[in-house]
Amino acid sequence: MTTASELEAKPKQKVERRESTRPGAYFQPAVDIFETPEELVLVADMPGVPADQVHIGLEGDELSVEGRVRPEEYEGLKPVYVEYGVGGFYRRFTLGEMIDREGIKAQMKNGVLVLKLPKAQAARPRRIAVEAA
Amino acid sequence: MAFVYRDPFDQLQQELERMVDAAFGPVGRSPGVYPPVNVFDQGEAYVVKAEVPGVPPEKIDINVEDDTVTLRGERAFSEPAKDAAYHRRERGHGQFRRVVRVPSRIAADEAKAQYRDGVLTLTIPKARDARPRRIQITS
Repeated sequence: MTTASELEAKPKQKVERRESTRPGAYFQPAVDIFETPEELVLVADMPGVPADQVHIGLEGDELSVEGRVRPEEYEGLKPVYVEYGVGGFYRRFTLGEMIDREGIKAQMKNGVLVLKLPKAQAARPRRIAVEAA
Repeated sequence: MAFVYRDPFDQLQQELERMVDAAFGPVGRSPGVYPPVNVFDQGEAYVVKAEVPGVPPEKIDINVEDDTVTLRGERAFSEPAKDAAYHRRERGHGQFRRVVRVPSRIAADEAKAQYRDGVLTLTIPKARDARPRRIQITS
């Protein structure tokens, strides 16, 4: 029986990292991105990635998110039945908004990254008061 | 001939990719039952790993019986702020129930579970007579 609230496993998408000198597989994390008047929020699923293995880059209007898993978790394990590949996560985004770089906050919990990117003052919506003449 | 160092984790990654491709084909992998699982042989035990990011461990119900592992739980939907506008929405939410069979008999009452960074790891010792044994030659 399938109900609307039943969760599906979406296959992990491999990504190419030509600029990377590190070997190994990389996958594209599933993300939610939403925007409020004050900030952009990016939520990314990166299972197996500890907080100290997350790297966030912001160059110009390009945001990159990278996470790496702990290889030692797989020592001595021989795969017998496999449904998903294991590796790092990597994804790039182009930001349409001016971001206040100093105010960026990142939190990692239970394999989920929450990245808060506050908009620069200049990019926030402003209400212009109209004076009655 | 040049000697190329191969990292063991790199080798495992390639092996996993090869097995995923063999099972589902390199293209057009369709959505499956949540959560996806990998089963490993550790010699004395089976290790079952499942990717369940964003599901806190107290929301996962694990049952091990005979040669079957059942995982049940729910990934909650976090209601965003009222004035939020979505640009992308790829992360699923909802309930899940997953049944996994392990290849041989197990000692279900000795199973252990660990949750770390969104990955659930179950270590289930094989039944005593299913474990590998080293036979000594007696002279």
